Amino acid sequence: MLAVTDLCKSYRRHADVVKVLNGLSMRVETGEFVSIVGVSGSGKSTLLHLIGTLDVPDSGSIYLDEQRIDQLPPTARDILRNQTFGFIFQFYHLLPELSTLDNVLMPAYINHSVLGWWRKRRDWRRRAEELLHRVGLGHRIQHKPRELSGGEMQRAAVARALLAQPRVLLADEPTGNLDADTGDEIIQLLCELNQDDGVTILMVTHNLEIAARTDRVVRIHQGRIVEESSRSLASA
Amino acid sequence: MHLLVAREGLRTPEVLLPPSKPRLGRRVSRTFAELLNLLQPSHGLASNIPGDGIPVYKLLLCLRYLRTRYLAFVCIVSVMLGVATLIVVNSVMSGFSTKLKERLHGILSDVLVETERADGFPESPQEIMAKLRATPAGYAIAAMAPTVEVFALLQFQLKDRYGRPIPVTKHVRMIGIDPEQQARVGRFAQYLVRQENSPHPSFDLPPAAVDRFSRNRLAVDPEEAFRIPLEDPSRQPSGSSVSGFLPEPSIIIPAAPPVVVPPPDLADTAGPRLPGVILGYSIAHTRYKDPVTGETTEYPLLKPGDEVLLATVGSEGLKPVSSTFIVVDYFKSEMSEYDGSFVYVPLDELQRLRGMDGKCNAIQVRLTEDVRDQGMLVNNQIVPQLAQAFHPTEARVASWQQHQGPLLAAIDIERGILNLLLFMIVGVAGFSVLAIFTMIVSEKYRDIGILKALGATNRGIMTIFIGYGLLLGLIGCGLGTVLGLFITESINEIEAGLTWLSGQQVFDRSVYYFDRIPTNVEAGTVLLVNIGAISIAVIFSVMPALRAARLHPVRALRFE
Repeated sequence: MLAVTDLCKSYRRHADVVKVLNGLSMRVETGEFVSIVGVSGSGKSTLLHLIGTLDVPDSGSIYLDEQRIDQLPPTARDILRNQTFGFIFQFYHLLPELSTLDNVLMPAYINHSVLGWWRKRRDWRRRAEELLHRVGLGHRIQHKPRELSGGEMQRAAVARALLAQPRVLLADEPTGNLDADTGDEIIQLLCELNQDDGVTILMVTHNLEIAARTDRVVRIHQGRIVEESSRSLASA
Repeated sequence: MHLLVAREGLRTPEVLLPPSKPRLGRRVSRTFAELLNLLQPSHGLASNIPGDGIPVYKLLLCLRYLRTRYLAFVCIVSVMLGVATLIVVNSVMSGFSTKLKERLHGILSDVLVETERADGFPESPQEIMAKLRATPAGYAIAAMAPTVEVFALLQFQLKDRYGRPIPVTKHVRMIGIDPEQQARVGRFAQYLVRQENSPHPSFDLPPAAVDRFSRNRLAVDPEEAFRIPLEDPSRQPSGSSVSGFLPEPSIIIPAAPPVVVPPPDLADTAGPRLPGVILGYSIAHTRYKDPVTGETTEYPLLKPGDEVLLATVGSEGLKPVSSTFIVVDYFKSEMSEYDGSFVYVPLDELQRLRGMDGKCNAIQVRLTEDVRDQGMLVNNQIVPQLAQAFHPTEARVASWQQHQGPLLAAIDIERGILNLLLFMIVGVAGFSVLAIFTMIVSEKYRDIGILKALGATNRGIMTIFIGYGLLLGLIGCGLGTVLGLFITESINEIEAGLTWLSGQQVFDRSVYYFDRIPTNVEAGTVLLVNIGAISIAVIFSVMPALRAARLHPVRALRFE
């Protein structure tokens, strides 16, 4: 489904050029739950951003279903982020002015004109409420993000990422800012989504215990994959 | 060799571009190119939106930011004050201008045909009027009135508080008219005080004036015969120290014995048969401002029945001529320039006095109703056609606007400059929009990153902030218009309040003789002010909006 070939990415920090990804290649199959681990600065988040078309690689290629996506024009990348990829961030990144429901509905707001929204508003609203109930926030629909706990905010972020029924969920350290129990709940939720709905998940994490619960763990070091282990291989 | 350069001015590098820093001109042109590129429909998510139109998130965030960002109210108040100020100033200036033009038009009639010859037109007024009617523009003539206009000296006598005579001489413009004909070509009758709007204005003396004239002529007590025409001191405002034209002396000096002022040497047949004169209101009245109370009181210097001496030059050889006239009425156009200089006398009397033998030196023309308000037609067609009746050296034909061209042009220029200066207030509001929006964009770095991660386009982000500027401009203009119209409507009450609070008269009525500050709200001006202010709000929001649109999503998401 997702294929990354010879991906290179560098950043310039003042006068220095820092090579973050250095010819990284990997594949992710449909319905797979892959975790990416590595030390800070190894390029995990950068890889996620490049796959999610938030950034452009210096060289190399990214394919989604045999279609190259790293060279798409900005408009097509925007549509891809809106409809194909779902993002979950470490710091939740909810919009503080909006209610939980509005935050969850934001991908639909972006994708609809006022008139189009008026026609479909009930369907979208029902779906958003279902998702919020599913992640355990049915009673927090009208609350503002500042009125939610960290775990609740992350669950709202998960609901938002799922609203447009994305094919790939990109999670950047989704438990990094949560306590162990709450983090465990979020991972459990992601596992359920992966198993029940068949959503492909690519997750960056520092936590090896959490990583161990995914189908495959990819370890990155200095911009290259240095180790890969899958649950099926481990069990074998 | 490949070099790394930050893409879109961000840390994220991209290969291939040379490392040289772009020059300012190139950077500016690149910014405009990006702006134009962002405004291309194909660049946005429009194709992604069923039915096209404004995406919901832009509207939602604009409204939400409006409710939650209290700094935005600073922008609204700035725009509101600017718009209100412009509306009030324009309405008051337009009020003054309209009233001024109305008065000028009323005084001058539509078209004025005049000669500079001292002895007037060589033909009789009837012949000149026939010539004018024979021109191609003759169809547009509704009425005509011959006049004689000449500069003159007006003299009358007052007395000081000690009874000593004070001869008063004023430089005036003496106009010989037939009152009925004059009333037909302009608003002459409207401006008469005693005979206001009379269909048959005349120089006839009213009974009270005849009585006063008789008492003046026959009075035994010279004090009464030609007394200072001041009101009864007992009727003056309390606290006023005015009882004459000299200030109350601090040391009491015994009053000098009254000096007998002989009345003018008039013929025995004078009496009420003396010619009448209609004086400009300001000539016959004076205003006194009490330094203690600050109140302005008006005193008549000359009343109907009083005699005045008018001296001018004859039509041949500049021979001085003079005659005595009796005040019969006042002319009050509320234009200090005219009320302080115009003196109307009977046409035949002035012709006789100057030896003009039934001639006139000006013809006032009133045009028909369907033509007179079409300034362009009058100036470009009617006036040149009327001028065909005369050789250029014989007469000057001009519309009332052309006659008062420099004054009207000065008013327009003054208004334009004032508008330009006052629009700077809106400019300041624009800078407050710029400053506050820049702050808001900085605060919203992460939100912008989130929106981009969720699929919002650069164009979409830009239009959120431009839309926000538009919304603030609309609200500010709406409130400013309401405030401006309210102040305009209540300007006289506000002026009275300010006068009461400060103790100083804000609007000095003695300048224009207007009882109230005139206002005239022009819908077109209000619309222009609103469009200008909204445009300023939008233009000044473009820079922060562009900055937000150019923000790299990864950098925005990592922003702490």
